[in-house]
Amino acid sequence: MDFGLTDEQQLLLESMDELLERECPESYIADLDLNHQPPTSFRKALNEAGFGSLGFPEEFGGTPCDAVTLVLLAERVCRQGLNNGFGLELLQAMDILEFGSDAQKEEILGLLAAGDVPFALGFTEPGAGSDNSAMAATAVHHDGMVTFNGTKTLITNALQSKYLLLMAKNPEVEDPRKAISMYLVPMDAPGVSTNQLEKILWHISDSCEIFLDDVTLPESCLVGVKGNGFKQLMRNFEFERLVIAATCLGLAQCAFDDAASYAAQRVQFGKPIGSFQLIQLKLTDMAIKLENIRNFVYKTAWMLDNDIPLKSQGALCKRYSAMAAFEVADEAMQIFGGVGVTVGTRVSRLWLDLRGHRFGGGTDEIMVHIAGRQIVKDHS
Amino acid sequence: MKIVVAYKWAANPQDAEVRPDGSVGWGRAKSAVSEYDPVAFEVARRLAEATGGEVIGLSVGAAAIDTPLARKAALSRGLDRLVLVADDALADVDGTRIAAALAAAVTTIGDVDLVLAGDSSVDVAEGQVAMTLAGQLGWLGLAGVSSVESDGGVLRVERDLPAGISTLSVEGPVVLALTSDAVVVRVPGMKDILGAAKKPTQVLALSALDVAAPVVELTTLSATPPATGDRKGVMFDGSDPAAAAIQLVDALRLARAL
Repeated sequence: MDFGLTDEQQLLLESMDELLERECPESYIADLDLNHQPPTSFRKALNEAGFGSLGFPEEFGGTPCDAVTLVLLAERVCRQGLNNGFGLELLQAMDILEFGSDAQKEEILGLLAAGDVPFALGFTEPGAGSDNSAMAATAVHHDGMVTFNGTKTLITNALQSKYLLLMAKNPEVEDPRKAISMYLVPMDAPGVSTNQLEKILWHISDSCEIFLDDVTLPESCLVGVKGNGFKQLMRNFEFERLVIAATCLGLAQCAFDDAASYAAQRVQFGKPIGSFQLIQLKLTDMAIKLENIRNFVYKTAWMLDNDIPLKSQGALCKRYSAMAAFEVADEAMQIFGGVGVTVGTRVSRLWLDLRGHRFGGGTDEIMVHIAGRQIVKDHS
Repeated sequence: MKIVVAYKWAANPQDAEVRPDGSVGWGRAKSAVSEYDPVAFEVARRLAEATGGEVIGLSVGAAAIDTPLARKAALSRGLDRLVLVADDALADVDGTRIAAALAAAVTTIGDVDLVLAGDSSVDVAEGQVAMTLAGQLGWLGLAGVSSVESDGGVLRVERDLPAGISTLSVEGPVVLALTSDAVVVRVPGMKDILGAAKKPTQVLALSALDVAAPVVELTTLSATPPATGDRKGVMFDGSDPAAAAIQLVDALRLARAL
């Protein structure tokens, strides 16, 4: 088993390090977090350096890339302390590249190249999240048009997105798996309004309620096949879970590095606190968790690259990574003591951002639901 | 225009260990293109794009400079091809000997119009190789170059020197050592890195080169780490940030740090 990096991976990570040092220093991230702004200039720099189109098919100007390399890059960007810093754009692009019309592809790829967030995913509703069958937002097709009504909530990046990738159901179809379709709805379409939800974490990504009140658009806003929306959405969920796990790994490593450096410098009772065994125990257990997350993430990516069915692997990886990474950040906070909770310390931001990954992209509990069913099925 | 970028495959100081006595341990340091050289790659690429020229990377040193990773690292930075002189006889030799080997390789490449280099290497930082190379070749050599543009085969060169910025016109073969901030360097992307393995590399045997023999033998008698200086522990009252900033700048100027 070879745990080494290829020359290409090593050089790519060195390139990313150069870019991070120049375009994404801690002062930049802290400023974004303080002012609740998205990392637009860094995204633009990623695109200019060719990182933004990694994993895109060549016919769309991209460079095919294996999943292991992509998670290495996601981990490296997040290790800088930037939440959701890399990889999620690829997921957005793939939704459209696989199922969108030519006009939709051109529009979305253009926005991605400019460093913008092309769309927010309009899935969660006040009465429906993990239980997608309870979705209430409707899409009624009539005379070459389609009219939407309903409410979406906790929609990430809604304010900075030009479009909403809306999941809505045909009220005439009973089977929820066949009723849901995917649509690309301009956020400035008549009848679309938003209400920003203030939150305590993920400040570089806004979260909103979105109200759809008789929003009527040409049917060309349909993405893919009518009634296949849920299947289309599920297609990239496995990779999304992996990117989230790599994000957790990077953020947790950042918290660990900060805590270990602090423990080596903070003097109490005449000695650095890192010389005390209770602190060493924390650092040791944190290091073990990081190693476990890293192995889990890399192996899951390797399985994807080798076309090995993930079955429960993606959900297991996401659940473990999000939970263990938060535990690492929580212990990092403990090592920092009171300093850790003062405004402006990186460890507090990492702690908060990691907490969000225990429900973002699927809760810890729904991962049990997904993996548990599969495990029982595999043993039946 | 045929442009040669002379670069060093050097230990990365970020991996170096500074020991309590101030000495530096390089044992765990991985090698990379010397940090001040990518600016030469970037300027060369821009000149080649503007003039339709060719960019050739050139490095000389110990056998360890020729690895697949080292080749790709250089070739991913906009080179058309690479020329290496990798021989353990060149390990840890002085800058004059390195410059002599570079000069012989430039002569072997032939018809070179311009050699670009960083202003010094990141590990040794003597800053003399580029100008010694110019001397070995019998060419004009200019250090402290902050900008190079081509105008119909004539180079327009800006130098940033303590006496001010001078703008020069240069025609004919020349060696230019660029300041580290001459341009913002593009980072190699996936396409550059994947494409690097497909570009040609030529390895020249040191024994086959007409390298000028050293006239004077150099012997290092001792090497001591630089003095770190005593910490002065000066504290400024930060209650008035603007006044504190002025005090800090004055103190740094007094210490000749600015």
